[in-house]
Amino acid sequence: MAIVRKLISQSTVDGPGNRFAVFLQGCNIRCAYCHNPETQAMHDDEAHEMSVVDVIRELEHCVPFLRGVTVSGGECMLQPEWLTELFLAVKRLGQIRNHPLTCLVDSNGTIPFSHYPELMQVCDGVMLDVKAWDEAVYSRLTGAPSNQVVRENLGWLLGCDKLTEVRIVCLSGRVDVETILENIAETFDSIGRKAPVRLIRFRPQGVVGELSNHPMPSDEQMNNYARFAHELGLGVTIR
Amino acid sequence: MSDIYSIVTSQKLSYEQKVVALAHAAEDTLSVLNIPERTRYYMESGVICNLNEGNAPYRPRYIMPDYEKAVRQGVKFLELDPPQDLDELLTFLQVLYRHVPSITTYPVFLGDLDRLIEPFIDGLSDEVVKRKLRNFFIYLDRTITDSFCHANLGPEATRAGRLILDVDRELEQAVPNLTLKYDPAFTPDDYAEQAIYTSLCVANPAICNDVLNRKTYDRYGISSCYNILPIAGGSYTLTRLVLPRLAAMTDDKQEFLTKLLPEAMQCMADYMSERIRFIVEKSGFFESHFLATEGLVERDRFVAMFGLVGLAEAANHFAPGKKYGTDPEADDVAEQIMQAISDFVAHYTCPYCEIADHRLLLHAQVGIDTDHGITSGIRIPVGDEPQSIYDHLRHSARFHRFIPTGCSDILPFDITGKQNPAAVLDIVKGAFEVGQKYVAFYASDSDLVRITGYLVKRSEIEKWNSGQAVLQNTTQLGAPTYASAHLANRKVRGV
Repeated sequence: MAIVRKLISQSTVDGPGNRFAVFLQGCNIRCAYCHNPETQAMHDDEAHEMSVVDVIRELEHCVPFLRGVTVSGGECMLQPEWLTELFLAVKRLGQIRNHPLTCLVDSNGTIPFSHYPELMQVCDGVMLDVKAWDEAVYSRLTGAPSNQVVRENLGWLLGCDKLTEVRIVCLSGRVDVETILENIAETFDSIGRKAPVRLIRFRPQGVVGELSNHPMPSDEQMNNYARFAHELGLGVTIR
Repeated sequence: MSDIYSIVTSQKLSYEQKVVALAHAAEDTLSVLNIPERTRYYMESGVICNLNEGNAPYRPRYIMPDYEKAVRQGVKFLELDPPQDLDELLTFLQVLYRHVPSITTYPVFLGDLDRLIEPFIDGLSDEVVKRKLRNFFIYLDRTITDSFCHANLGPEATRAGRLILDVDRELEQAVPNLTLKYDPAFTPDDYAEQAIYTSLCVANPAICNDVLNRKTYDRYGISSCYNILPIAGGSYTLTRLVLPRLAAMTDDKQEFLTKLLPEAMQCMADYMSERIRFIVEKSGFFESHFLATEGLVERDRFVAMFGLVGLAEAANHFAPGKKYGTDPEADDVAEQIMQAISDFVAHYTCPYCEIADHRLLLHAQVGIDTDHGITSGIRIPVGDEPQSIYDHLRHSARFHRFIPTGCSDILPFDITGKQNPAAVLDIVKGAFEVGQKYVAFYASDSDLVRITGYLVKRSEIEKWNSGQAVLQNTTQLGAPTYASAHLANRKVRGV
């Protein structure tokens, strides 16, 4: 069983194509810009225990319209065994229906993927949040002591060709966007492979606390980040 | 007489619109069709509606010339030799279009434009081709002032097709209406995504399920409001059965299914046969028109479209308190009605419809501007759409299977769809896989909107509503329909 916050049968912002998205309850960090802080606690009245079979039942009638399934959170890697079981079932369903489904993970990267080889066998890729590169910047933003594992995950996932996308939420003053981009480019160079980078504009909707009234970065600011990334040889999109 | 006087003196009709309206008025002074009393009763009560086709048809309603053949052999009557380069081709088509008759007096079908153009663009740069296409499209939009005019693309990707999509997006015009024939085996994803992106910008093109629709005839095209018709042929007539008006005559479903519906269908089918006979035997069209004499249309490739409208309201009438689209009871009644109609046309023999094995072919008619409380064809009424788009499309598929000559859904998408056309393509693939036949989109912020199948600019509707003359005839039809059918309230699908 997993604690599931909600299921969305049609999502176009959780990976390539049209996807069925599963949002698990519970997160291990506390990002100041989190736009769904209600998913942070491990338990919540609006979250429900669901078995893999429960989710598959909801998924079944959507299959012809989908490219795949994305599991997000909260932080879905806090429930890795269930995730493995779900992905196995999704793959099986796709096979039976003769409609292959891809399985993606949307993660904050704080749990080492290399520790879960069985999961990585059935997971087609990870959309990895790189929230900051400098450890102090990261700690101030997320409340977590270190981003060492995130950095390791970046290289490891790229090395085994499971890095679907790198995501950076852009918020000047709180996120070292340029430093992240420089280090991503360096990692890509050292491994000799690239992955798409998505620059996500900070939006105050849903945010609680100190950033709830913080303005969004301007178009100009976002374009500057994108230009900087281009100069580093990165393929970026803005959302 | 007062009607004619009001046409002559109108300040809201353009000169061309007056000429067409006067021709209609003249035709309607004749009474040459044999219409039995019971048929008259159903016509006067609005159950059988001939869509103002006129009392003495002198050409088929929809004509689908074989443009590829015309380009190969030239057109003697118009003194046109086969074109040798792109300029000659575009001029050739402009002249030919001008002479293709239809119910609207404008051509309703412009051909497989990508395939017509593709052989003529070798050695020309994209920029050169686009400049020529831009002028061509502006000419079409400003002279074919009626958006029941349709050009087709696909299923294969072509350079011409991609350039047409580019130009269409840049120009934001209501004419021509475009449809991409889509077959996952032949249409590459990136091309389909370009089409969908274009559609989310300018409500054009629509996407047609080529796999299912090509089963109807060997060569087909999409004309007017997504009519699926044989190329080198067309449709003699489209008459429609207004189901809610027939349903209103009884509360007893059995009486409806076993008495009223069969009688009304018999009257309508006989009336259609009468129209077909007049066109073929009396009008002289097939003996004298150059399209027929030069083999660009063939008489035995014409069909007749048996239209129906308002299935939703009719079903709801016999399932009180239930809603077609979301309640199984209402949907089951609708299926019974469709089965009865389908069985009727499968057994009725009509004249001169060789390509359809002498059967009338069902068509989900989209409605007209004077319809109130009558939903297009077999669509779900605005406001009653299922929460899930998948349920909506499955519901469509359930009823699309009955309809060979055109049925469709129109889905407004949230503007975020533009950022992920691949996701919208996944939904289209799913829809077609479950049996949906034709789908059109527009973005919720688009100036161009699809009314019932044709395109109108919201800005033009405002102009017309404020009493000004507008170029497009279809704005006059679209303005009242946009309001009366509550189209602004269509369920916007977030992606």
